[in-house]
Amino acid sequence: MSMLSALAHVEAMQNMTAVRLTAFRHHRLSDRPLVIIPLTMAGEAGAPLAVMAGTARRDMTLLVVPQPRNRDQRFAFAADLGRVVMDYIDSYRQDRRGEGERSQYTDVPQIIVPNQGGVNALADLGRMCRFRSTTGPYAVPEVVPEFGMWLTFLVDTAEMAGTSMLLPLTALLTEHWATGQSTLEDQNLASLMAWIAPPRGVSIAQALEEAENPDVCPPAGPSTSPEFDNRDLAPAIKRFDTAHALGDPHTLAAAQTELTELIAGQVKPTWRLMWAAISILRSIPKAPQTARRLDRDCRLFTNHSDYRDAGGLPQRKRDTAISAARRLSQLERALADFEAAMAFDDPFVLADRRSGGEAFTGTVVESQPNRTAITAKNTTVPRPRVTVRTSDPLRLAAGTKLISPTMPKGHKAVIVSVLPDGDTTLVTVEVTAGMGRGRTPKAGSVPDLDKDIDYLPDPGWRPNPTFPDSDHTPWTHSADPDGPDDSAVPENAAAEEWGHDN
Amino acid sequence: MKPPVDGRLDALRGSSPRLSYNARSLAALENNPRCTLRALLDASGSDKAAIAAHIGYPSPFGQSSFAFARGNAFEAMVKDNGCAELLRVLRETLKLTLPEVAYLDLNEVGGAGDNDARHRRTTEVLLEAARGNGEGTLFDHPLLHLQVGGEGAFLEPDLVAFRIDGRFYIVEIKSFPIIDGQADPAQVRAATTQASAYIIALRALLAHHGMDTGAVSDTIVLVAPKDFTNRPTAAFVDARKQVAALTRQLSRIERVSDLVDLLPEDLTFDLDLDLTLPKKEQRPRRPAEELAAAVARVPATYRPDCLNHCEMAFHCRAHARAEASLDVLGPAVREQLGGIDTATMALGLARGQLTPTGDQSDMAAALRHAARLRDELTEAYGGAA
Repeated sequence: MSMLSALAHVEAMQNMTAVRLTAFRHHRLSDRPLVIIPLTMAGEAGAPLAVMAGTARRDMTLLVVPQPRNRDQRFAFAADLGRVVMDYIDSYRQDRRGEGERSQYTDVPQIIVPNQGGVNALADLGRMCRFRSTTGPYAVPEVVPEFGMWLTFLVDTAEMAGTSMLLPLTALLTEHWATGQSTLEDQNLASLMAWIAPPRGVSIAQALEEAENPDVCPPAGPSTSPEFDNRDLAPAIKRFDTAHALGDPHTLAAAQTELTELIAGQVKPTWRLMWAAISILRSIPKAPQTARRLDRDCRLFTNHSDYRDAGGLPQRKRDTAISAARRLSQLERALADFEAAMAFDDPFVLADRRSGGEAFTGTVVESQPNRTAITAKNTTVPRPRVTVRTSDPLRLAAGTKLISPTMPKGHKAVIVSVLPDGDTTLVTVEVTAGMGRGRTPKAGSVPDLDKDIDYLPDPGWRPNPTFPDSDHTPWTHSADPDGPDDSAVPENAAAEEWGHDN
Repeated sequence: MKPPVDGRLDALRGSSPRLSYNARSLAALENNPRCTLRALLDASGSDKAAIAAHIGYPSPFGQSSFAFARGNAFEAMVKDNGCAELLRVLRETLKLTLPEVAYLDLNEVGGAGDNDARHRRTTEVLLEAARGNGEGTLFDHPLLHLQVGGEGAFLEPDLVAFRIDGRFYIVEIKSFPIIDGQADPAQVRAATTQASAYIIALRALLAHHGMDTGAVSDTIVLVAPKDFTNRPTAAFVDARKQVAALTRQLSRIERVSDLVDLLPEDLTFDLDLDLTLPKKEQRPRRPAEELAAAVARVPATYRPDCLNHCEMAFHCRAHARAEASLDVLGPAVREQLGGIDTATMALGLARGQLTPTGDQSDMAAALRHAARLRDELTEAYGGAA
């Protein structure tokens, strides 16, 4: 956390109101997101209890597993939810643009869950479904493994900074606002919304108190409140079990309706809150580079979609050494790019970096616009130098490559020297790119005297690192000496036990 | 002269029955060892949940009956038929050679409630085993004794300690799943902390009888459901770090007497329950304001993650909020604003309304710079949300 965000949190706490941290919204919001609220049964990670899903505030489907311990009901539920989600995803697998290698879908699906716990619940569900077999003793409907593989893909993309195919709402909100509470409490969607948009006529303090009362604001999942479990849910499930055992269709239907209504009462407040949050987020202008990130999403989506169309195997349980290294490098790259893009687009984020000394703003106090240098190829190129006076606590060293949101596109510079001068710092930079092809720089491509200018480090272009082929894994990274784990082979894993033994 | 520590702690607790350390208070000890309020309440065996509820901050730590049932069912299944399933995973998953196995349940001794008898029996059996005599391999429900803050506390683990190749291992049976060889780190950590307390207690027992503490392994065996099934799997968890951390924290609070000495002599957290009534009908008779005043006299070190494991957390948070303490915002903000305690002070320095002390000057300069940046932005874009 930077000094600036720390200060924003302190201000929020003192003034009892949320404080904005960004000028823009840096994640794309789809016009038709699929909102999903997963609920699981306490004490059992893989036991889904219910899900509410839909693409509009008034268009929701509630799916309930009446007895979450029953594996048959679990997979019937997975199939129902799978159909809802796959219909939604398939609606984005229609329009393609481009030829051959470059051909890709023009838009991507977007699933929004309340919090990180929701992402984890979908990860568990994906893991539970993707290896199931559609034939044999414990056959599941065809949609189940397909749904599992798509969920796993979406959960994997959610780890990559700047993607927007699966988003936890609390993360979107905390990116834009600082509250006067801790990160831990910010995980509670109701508390977070109490800071950002308390209900009309209710003070933030009162809204916060209500947000922590499970009877007023039921938890946004995936776990339900223990009081609700013990007081309402356990007896209702028991009644369902009794009715199920008796086999009387009337009592069974009544018990099922009762359960559904109970759970609807628990998810509906979160449902309304989520759509309220989405509409608030929509009102924030989106950052310019969001479009570029959408393009990357389309690429990822198309690749996975083509892989599925070709009947690819489910994702492994654990990455191999090489795929893990490759993935880590992609994630690091995505994070660096995303952070730089945010600072480039957004003066709030830039100020954040400035307060930590990772970027600076200042006034040009000296300029040598016509300076040239001779390259190794013996050509003369313009290399103007300017000196900027800044009062920011700069921590960048000579040699750092810079980009600037205040200069025309393509402008690049490198720090030549950093000299303290009283309370301020004099930074001399050499402009290296964005000046056109001539011997003299294009007009406007060199900062003028007295101009205010922002600079931040250039995340730069890095070649994709090359990794060895999987059959050339170095011995230091090869499989367990105890012998390979057979579960790493997807085909074997499909034979996973049903586990229906309680 | 002040009465001895034992008497003082009993007086702090008052009439209520003494509570022993459990998983949650051990977690609290590990996560927030420096909190005086927590140390005193735990050392005196006071009922934190009842105290918090009486002063207006009922704790939200209900346990779902589903989680409870699942935990019990899983443990029972693992231990069924003389721990048949447990032995299967020890042999198949962990590849241990257990030639012959004898199972001893130490729960049945002396009848319920007689902890001393159970502890004596546990000591006897475990010492025999440590000397290489006796036939036990698996010991279920041993009752161990841990010194916390100079005070003895019984630990009643629902665990099996097993002995192989002359070493004892602690087995923790938990119902959170190990999916593809990975489990939720927070839950593994909590389980390891709990097991670390047992390791320390078991070592203390051996040391007390002049035996080598190295006979207790600092690797624990975690038994948990495999993937999404009900079948158990097991994994070794290295507990060295947490054993060391817990040992250090225990020695640090060795001197609860020092804390007690700082308290006013008449201070008590007594709820004044009517002990003649059946347990369910006992209601605190002490005026809530009086109890709240007593609690408020003891300093607490609030951190947001207290909300996860301490019953007093909501009380402490309310106090921290009232004092505008930066503790409310959590460690990320605290670390950034090192040396500044309250929001009022931070904003005063940022706005230049307070004069910084010598060691605050760097921080004050950084704050003023940040405040200037925020002002520029607020001017250009509007401040509040």
